[in-house]
Amino acid sequence: MSDITQSAPVAAPRSVRGQQWLQHVSLLIIVLVLAVFAWLSPIFLTVMNLGNVLQQTAVVGTLALGLTLVLSGGGLQGITGGIDLSIAANLGLSAAVFASQLNAGQPIAIALLLTLLTGAAVGLFNALAIVWLGILPLLATLTSMNIAIGLEMVLTSNASVSASSDLQNLLLGNGPLAVSWLGWSFLLLAFGVIALSRLTSFGLRLQAVGSHPQAANAAGIGVKRYQGLSYVLCGVSAAIAAIASVSLLSGSSPGANDNLLMVIAAALLGVVFSRRLVPTLGGALISALFLSLIANGFQLINVSSYWINGVEGVLILLVVALTALLRRRQSRRTQGV
Amino acid sequence: MSDSLLSPVAPRPRQTGWLRAIIVLTFVALLVFFIVAAPAFATVSNIRSVLLNNVAPLAIVALAMTLVTRIGAIDLSVGTAIDIACLVLVTLVLHQVSLPVALFAALIAALLVGVFNAFLVTQLGVEPFLATLGTLFIGQSVQQLSSNGGQPVYLLSQKLPDGFSAIGHGALLGIPLPLWLLLLVALALYQLLHRSATGRSLRVMGEQYSVAQHSGVPVKRLTALAFILAALIAGIVGLILAANVKAWVPLSGNAYLLNAIGASFIGATFAPSRRPNVLGTLLGVVLLSFIANGLLLVGWNFYWQQVATGGLIFIVLAVGALRARRHS
Amino acid sequence: MVNNAPLLQLHAISKAFDGVPALQSVSLSVHAGEVHGLIGHNGAGKSTLIKVLGGIHAADRGSIELDGQPLTLATPAQAQRQGIAIVHQERLLPGSLTVAEALWLGNEPRLAGTPFILRRRMRQQAEQQLQQHFGLQLDPDALIATLSVAEQQLVQICRVLQNAPRVVVLDEPTAALARHEVHALFRVIERMRQQGIALLYVSHYLDEIQELCQRVTVLRDGKDVAQFNADQLSPAALIAAMVGDARHELAPRQSRRAGAQVLQVTALSAPGSFHSVSFTGRQGEIIGITGLLGSGGKALIRALFGLENGVSGKVTLGEVSGVPASPHAAVKRGIAFVPEDRRANGVALDLSLRDNVTLTTVQRLLRWGGVSRQAESELVAKNIQQLDIRTPGQLAALRQLSGGNQQKAVLAKWLNTGARLYLLDEPTVGVDIAAKAAIYHTLQQLADDGALILVFSTDLLELQTLADRIMVLARGEHVATLEAQHTSHQEILSWASGTGALTERAS
Repeated sequence: MSDITQSAPVAAPRSVRGQQWLQHVSLLIIVLVLAVFAWLSPIFLTVMNLGNVLQQTAVVGTLALGLTLVLSGGGLQGITGGIDLSIAANLGLSAAVFASQLNAGQPIAIALLLTLLTGAAVGLFNALAIVWLGILPLLATLTSMNIAIGLEMVLTSNASVSASSDLQNLLLGNGPLAVSWLGWSFLLLAFGVIALSRLTSFGLRLQAVGSHPQAANAAGIGVKRYQGLSYVLCGVSAAIAAIASVSLLSGSSPGANDNLLMVIAAALLGVVFSRRLVPTLGGALISALFLSLIANGFQLINVSSYWINGVEGVLILLVVALTALLRRRQSRRTQGV
Repeated sequence: MSDSLLSPVAPRPRQTGWLRAIIVLTFVALLVFFIVAAPAFATVSNIRSVLLNNVAPLAIVALAMTLVTRIGAIDLSVGTAIDIACLVLVTLVLHQVSLPVALFAALIAALLVGVFNAFLVTQLGVEPFLATLGTLFIGQSVQQLSSNGGQPVYLLSQKLPDGFSAIGHGALLGIPLPLWLLLLVALALYQLLHRSATGRSLRVMGEQYSVAQHSGVPVKRLTALAFILAALIAGIVGLILAANVKAWVPLSGNAYLLNAIGASFIGATFAPSRRPNVLGTLLGVVLLSFIANGLLLVGWNFYWQQVATGGLIFIVLAVGALRARRHS
Repeated sequence: MVNNAPLLQLHAISKAFDGVPALQSVSLSVHAGEVHGLIGHNGAGKSTLIKVLGGIHAADRGSIELDGQPLTLATPAQAQRQGIAIVHQERLLPGSLTVAEALWLGNEPRLAGTPFILRRRMRQQAEQQLQQHFGLQLDPDALIATLSVAEQQLVQICRVLQNAPRVVVLDEPTAALARHEVHALFRVIERMRQQGIALLYVSHYLDEIQELCQRVTVLRDGKDVAQFNADQLSPAALIAAMVGDARHELAPRQSRRAGAQVLQVTALSAPGSFHSVSFTGRQGEIIGITGLLGSGGKALIRALFGLENGVSGKVTLGEVSGVPASPHAAVKRGIAFVPEDRRANGVALDLSLRDNVTLTTVQRLLRWGGVSRQAESELVAKNIQQLDIRTPGQLAALRQLSGGNQQKAVLAKWLNTGARLYLLDEPTVGVDIAAKAAIYHTLQQLADDGALILVFSTDLLELQTLADRIMVLARGEHVATLEAQHTSHQEILSWASGTGALTERAS
């Protein structure tokens, strides 16, 4: 005869606001930590120091923005989710290209162009491997990281390449508020990217692609196109970060890959600042700045900088455990039965 | 839909194909090229050297990684386990602790790294990738702090306890100890993964985690086991390293991470089931090591080797992914 | 009012997956302004047909026409462009987007000539549309993930309506809706009807079908077997068409003497699912558990296998007491579980039949530290024979077997454990009639051999065929236990919907 013909009403508590506490607590913690540093070191909150911190964040911050695009479009499903492990190696390679071009006397425009092309090329390689061939992002970018490191070593014979140019001098020069132009450029870039992402449909669609690819597909959004684009843009961000890096270091040096963990930390920690509990550009920016501030603070109060990695690790674990918990609670409410 | 601790790894197709034949042919061609172009390549001493110095440690780490990837997870902190074991051993030997005790303590230290990972993954529900990433971070910090920013800790040759260098260089029946260790680990893991009842459960966990769970497989317990055992096995490499280099060089374990992952997944493409497996991993390690060695002997710029190895892994992955696509 | 020429016509649609036919030459037509019902048991092909219409799967054979023009439905985008809108059962809304964003995704309003989207307009219009269509007041900035299932469903329907489609397919739209939400939906459907939209309404809630539809097509085993007009619709006729001639194969069970009590459940509660359920079970009994969506019946079965969290109460099986903490603990106590979503939880599709079946008992096949191939294949051969599993061989990947045979493999897996208590969750979903009969037969034999079997099912026919008694849950409470042979569907439904006992007995 018949199946069950009616349904019981599904009650769902509506504590939408419930998860705002995470953002508020995180901001509170940041303020507290900064306050402690400020109390322990009078220099901490000076404009000069903060400007310095801003400048120091340019490299990792730019990379974190690029990585966030990949995380956003790839979805955070652990091993199968989107990630770009090659981003720091890409930075190294692009920086090597930039520095050696300048060193060889090339005009700045050519050097910039080639640098950007290098970063984009690595990004494109990732995009093709992941989106077209279907290799897992983790594996594909692990491989491209290897290759990029190798190419960088080939280019520089594993040595530093010094370079100087008018552009670098300009960037390192002081702008308003005694903050360097590099710092301002970074801030401008960050806000520009955040604004573009939010004001156009790009950020929205990219997030949809990462959050629910079938839904995005059904909405007529080219999932592969967006995911591929995110990897290319990530590559370009590495090139831009390379320009900043070469400016800061007056050249390129091996070991750019050491930045990788910090970039991943910044991008992942950004989740905490979004009420959607997903990686966001704004969140990545705040996290990158926060991590820089901690490093700076440690320096000022003479705590060994080697605690940084440990702090990052603990923070990541905290954030990840918390967001996993919150997400589980979110979805349990909507499962019915 | 059940909550999964882990997520599936690589896609798995069914049939054999001529694509696989092409890979095999390429490798054979490369081998022939090396033998011809580099007279030193096919000599006993070269082969022995590669096996001892490259294959043995990498293979042991790769096998540890295989254990974890087989259940559909990943362990980014194997390098940390290696380094921690090395650190503890060197430190204890430096303080004149007896060798057996020092060895034991070092292995326990590595084991604890695994216990930490297991705790994060099974008790806190953190995803393996992120959990082991966090361990990696923390491990880096610990090492940097313990070494004042990367200063290696050296052991004085005169003050070495008896049998210490034997770990790295000693031989039994003409075969160096590290290779015996490799054999032991390989056999044990083969038994565990491919012949035992637990191995069946592990395999299903990697294949379709929720099915394992719904069939009463003790998934949390086995996940913990995998991480703990993997860290322990990686710790063995730390001991070998300490004995060979007679020092602890911080963060040196991480160098193995990429190739271990690479070998594990290359090995997966060799098996009909396309899942990570012991024999495939060993084969992958051998291939990676000998190709790097061949390139070196042929006179390739050392830096190009990294590009070449990366390119190689990429080609294998690409072929594997293409095959998977054809069958879906 | 129904026009003469059909707006949408499907001719002889056929589709097979991995060689297993899902649709066999299905034809149907829908007029503008008509609500056309599509019914059939789970696995009859309804969702495949919808996916073909929606451009998700391409039909192997057959054609589809809109207004006489043939349609190419190669992609979802194409289907939408040509005026076909599907409201899927699975909610296709990204959880981390807001309501306004999800509503406008892919179609965002822009500032003329620029790529900039107008978020304020998105929010305003989202609020407006939801209010207009459904009388629903939702915060347009609320995250999709925080909405209830019902709310998400309404957002999904609202999204579909934005494109002014000519054909709207609703796939089980009311499965998670409350009474007033269902009525709101019916009002929307009526409005769509009046606008001349052709509606295909897929549901297994026959009273809704009766209330809404002008015509009904019945699918069974991938074929369209009957069509009814509004005046011919009666539950009995519909069900007869859905089940077909195979009714006689599903003979109600002979009553048997139940043995000793083996199971005692006392005050079992899972917060949010069910509350203080108590019952006993005896060897050789088959107990059916049923209830509406959300009643807690499914959760009860899962709780007994250790799959639910926060369960309190006592479960005494044999000598051991206490709620199983995990599936592993449950299996150790001799409990078996056949999950509903076979492909996700029941069988590892890429493993062989042999590997699947021996998963639970491989320890018994150990010889000399390894698994004995011979013992293994003997055991599996025995299972294949016992359950009449149709397979190309023991080593065939489970993907290659039909749904029914896959389900038999799941049963075989548990058979070998000699479990005392079998828990089944919708055991014959997507299973063809012949396999269904075989499964029923096996279950009855298991009971005869002394096992206690608990079956959760919303298929009342199935329960009456299998069970000795039927426990009914409503809103988390155990409201009635009925003798399967002496009750009726009306009585079961009456209890399930919370209205209590029937005042008059229907025949």
